[in-house]
Amino acid sequence: MDFFIKYLLSILIFFPLASVILLLFINKKNEGLLRNLATILSLIEFIFSVYLFIYFKPDTYKFQFVEKFNWITTFGASYFLGIDGVSLFLILLTTLLTFVSLISSYRYIKDHVKEFFILMLILETFMIGTFASLDVLLFYLFWEFMLIPMYFIIGMWGTGRRVYSAVKFVLYTLSGSLIMLFGLIYIFILHYDQTGYFTFNILRLYNTHIPLNLQILLFIALFLGFAIKIPVFPFHTWLPDAHTEAPTAGSVILAGVLLKFGVYGFFRFAMPLLPEATLILAPIIIIIGVIGVLYGALVSMVQKDLKRLVAFSSVSHMGFIMLGLFAMSAISVDGSILQLLNHGITTGALFLFVGMLYERAHTRQIADFGGIAKKAPILTTLFMISVLASIGLPGLNGFIGEFLILIGSFKHYMVLTIIATSGIIFAAVYLLWMFQRVMFQDITNPQMESFYDMNLREIITVLPLILLMFFIGFYPAPFLERIDPTVLHFLSIIGHHGYIHNLIKLKTGLSNA
Amino acid sequence: MLNISHIYNMNFLEKGMLSIMPEAVIIVFAFIVLFLTFFERLSKSNNPYYLSLISIGFSMLYILMLSGRTIDGFYGSIVFNEFSVFLFIGILFAGFLTILMSNNYINNFEVPLPEYYSLILFGVSSMMLLVSSNNLIMVFLSIEFMSITAYILTGYLKGNTRSTEAALKYFVLGTFASAFLIFGSVFIYAATGHLNLYNIHYFITSVANKGLINFGTIKIYLAIGLILFLVGLAFKMSLFPFHAWTPDAYDGAPTPITNFMATGIKIAAFAIFLRIYSLIYNFNIMDFNNILWLLAILSMTFGNIAAIMSSNIKRLLAYSSIAQAGYILIGIIGGGYYGYSGTLFYLFAYIFMTAGAFAIVVAFENFDLMSLDIKKYSGIGYKYPFVAAAMAFFLLSLAGIPVTSGFMGKFYVFSAAIKSRYDLLVLIALINSAFAAFYYIKIIVQMYMPDKEELIISSSNGVQRDRGSGGANLNKLNNDFGVVNGKINEGLMIAIFICLFFTLLMGIFPQIFINFAHNSINSLWSI
Repeated sequence: MDFFIKYLLSILIFFPLASVILLLFINKKNEGLLRNLATILSLIEFIFSVYLFIYFKPDTYKFQFVEKFNWITTFGASYFLGIDGVSLFLILLTTLLTFVSLISSYRYIKDHVKEFFILMLILETFMIGTFASLDVLLFYLFWEFMLIPMYFIIGMWGTGRRVYSAVKFVLYTLSGSLIMLFGLIYIFILHYDQTGYFTFNILRLYNTHIPLNLQILLFIALFLGFAIKIPVFPFHTWLPDAHTEAPTAGSVILAGVLLKFGVYGFFRFAMPLLPEATLILAPIIIIIGVIGVLYGALVSMVQKDLKRLVAFSSVSHMGFIMLGLFAMSAISVDGSILQLLNHGITTGALFLFVGMLYERAHTRQIADFGGIAKKAPILTTLFMISVLASIGLPGLNGFIGEFLILIGSFKHYMVLTIIATSGIIFAAVYLLWMFQRVMFQDITNPQMESFYDMNLREIITVLPLILLMFFIGFYPAPFLERIDPTVLHFLSIIGHHGYIHNLIKLKTGLSNA
Repeated sequence: MLNISHIYNMNFLEKGMLSIMPEAVIIVFAFIVLFLTFFERLSKSNNPYYLSLISIGFSMLYILMLSGRTIDGFYGSIVFNEFSVFLFIGILFAGFLTILMSNNYINNFEVPLPEYYSLILFGVSSMMLLVSSNNLIMVFLSIEFMSITAYILTGYLKGNTRSTEAALKYFVLGTFASAFLIFGSVFIYAATGHLNLYNIHYFITSVANKGLINFGTIKIYLAIGLILFLVGLAFKMSLFPFHAWTPDAYDGAPTPITNFMATGIKIAAFAIFLRIYSLIYNFNIMDFNNILWLLAILSMTFGNIAAIMSSNIKRLLAYSSIAQAGYILIGIIGGGYYGYSGTLFYLFAYIFMTAGAFAIVVAFENFDLMSLDIKKYSGIGYKYPFVAAAMAFFLLSLAGIPVTSGFMGKFYVFSAAIKSRYDLLVLIALINSAFAAFYYIKIIVQMYMPDKEELIISSSNGVQRDRGSGGANLNKLNNDFGVVNGKINEGLMIAIFICLFFTLLMGIFPQIFINFAHNSINSLWSI
């Protein structure tokens, strides 16, 4: 058991890869076995990850479950893993959503079943690796390879213009990542020039002193990499295509986990590495974030395709998260991190429901639906809960996150926060309007007569997400108390460099929400 | 076991013979293979093929025995040291993989076999002579030797117009390059009075240090000589303005030979350029780094743009090799310990990813039903899962996606260049890599995500895809297809496995190779 806990992160990273090797030996015609085995293995993976939560010490910002081995000594790169409160929950989200999306694709994925499950598990390995690595080179390795399985998932099992979307997704994110790589190598070399030894240890690189004008250029380089991944407003154009054409499981992972990497990258790399640039550029990024909130919301309103609507709502939500993160008060950053989880849970659930609708009706056009509430009461209820959570109804998770973000940002960016708040109203408009058109009204489409309700598997699929929505909504303390120390430490790293000292004063204004 | 502890007491001939031992083994075997022609029965079978493989093995053995020593031979015109060891191994691998690929391919054509294999062996030995040569005349001779084997091999498919045309083009342009090379050597000799690279190095150092009055005239001669020499080598490295032969020669040559040119000749040319550049170029004669800077950017950009527009896989890989040459050059520009060892690392990685890609092109060419048009690759991801996955992996490696050797190589040379503050160059290179990803991904799209209609057509043969790797499966499949040569023979499979192994290993645990490259760079400088 000691061994298990000590190397838990490595086990979490490589268990899915080991599962892949197991799956390789199964005949591809035995689809039932493949599906069940992959799902069970991902469930085991999730259970392993719960151990992280159990053994995680909540009262420290220090990295836990640290593992460090030499990897490429010439570059000072090491196999250096560790998690803090933020990556803890993102890893849990990853394992949960992988499990959920694997169950959800029992019916959706009909051809190349084996390849699909293998790719999903490979993807999981690389996602967890990205969150867990504290070595920049290792991080980049995981970060960029992640694109490849996702690319195959969109391109091989997608609908419509899947190839176009997949290629667009890869090229967009790849170009961003490569520019980011430039920034990371530059910082690595600067650190070498100052200290005389190579290291990719992120904790050491934090101490690099970088002149201000260079910081701004490097920040722009890193910003491009992370902002495309999030995606922040002007770089979002790959997102609706990728989301719309991806299979349900792909959309869930894309929205639930992949979009989080951008924010995580800002949190772990861009902001602490380049604190002064962050403080200077924060207002601009917040403006971009708020534009994203409004733009996403407005574009969502006019969407005719369900998936596109949810995809654009992601743009809007990610704008909120950027607002909270760059407002850089303890409360707003807390809110942002929590909202990351919330967004993963709610948007994941929304995509699952859209997927279920699509499986039944073979259409995603809002106009084709109508009157489903009578046919499928369970689906309607659960879908309603997810929609309300996404809007931010008190008592559900979305509310906590958005509320914290807005409170935290209000003091410094009053006008922008007020403008951003209208995004919530718009969210209510487009989501509820969509819900009304899809679920209520009369049945106009004869196809909907044969609409059937959720079966047990589908309920199991969404149930963990629905429960989490309520849990976070009513009792966010277990989450916030683990995120808190990390966030405070993060702010102190930035505040330490003291460009705008008074930001740190907000540290005190934190309650347990 | 040969006792070589008294190596330093030998007379110059013994020492000389020892210093070219690995090459000599290959040459001896090349002659043996050539003599097989006289025996009709022997030459028809696979004997030349196996003999050639064995010769590479023997040569490798000699390298292992001699490695760690520095042996000057032939009055210093040949130097065997760690630098040569590193590149010998690379070149031998390139030759080994080429021979493995050739077996089935060349049997399709009505051409004499023993000559073909012996020419490859001669090519390998000439490349090895080139990377270990330390004398301008020796450099010229080995380059000529190498080029002539390459000309013949390019035009080896007698009666095939494309092949002959390619050989002719290659020959004309190659001769042109040789002229530049010899002209450059003449100028360098005129300026310095030495042909040995070390002597030239010492001479320029001493002249530059003493600041002699006549340095001015020497400088002009040297500058002209070095530029001409650079042009001659740039032809062989296929850098942008001197690349014109590359697409045609690569396209027309038999595919294993294309691989041989793309891997063997390229690394040999780069290696000798690295040696000469680090020895006699980095004096304050001219800013050669600026010239290389321009060449690198032009090669990358041109190679990538041309590759995006080409639809023939061999041409695409040819253009991509021009772009790759640009990336490799970045390591040399970056310079210093890290830049040079990065260049070597990248070269080593480059062999395996390119050879892997070509091995798979050969495999599909052997099926006959696949032409070289990328469109014909549509859906093969489902029919030949293992081979297609390997192909995707090599292409990703060429594109520089992590977990592959291509990423580590790029990372290595790019960080060396940033270390020397060539920021703009690296930025342009990175943008280029993003562009390049497009055409590599284009092939993967064809393999795995064909249009639905095309997939239906190509799978209408009623063949069920069978998971699980290995030649046996593929044999079965090919029988179902009813293709002429329908099997991926063991040689090709071994080649693909070797390439996969090294591409993955260098991507995940590059440390061993980095150490190896460091050692060889150390020996390069320990004059």
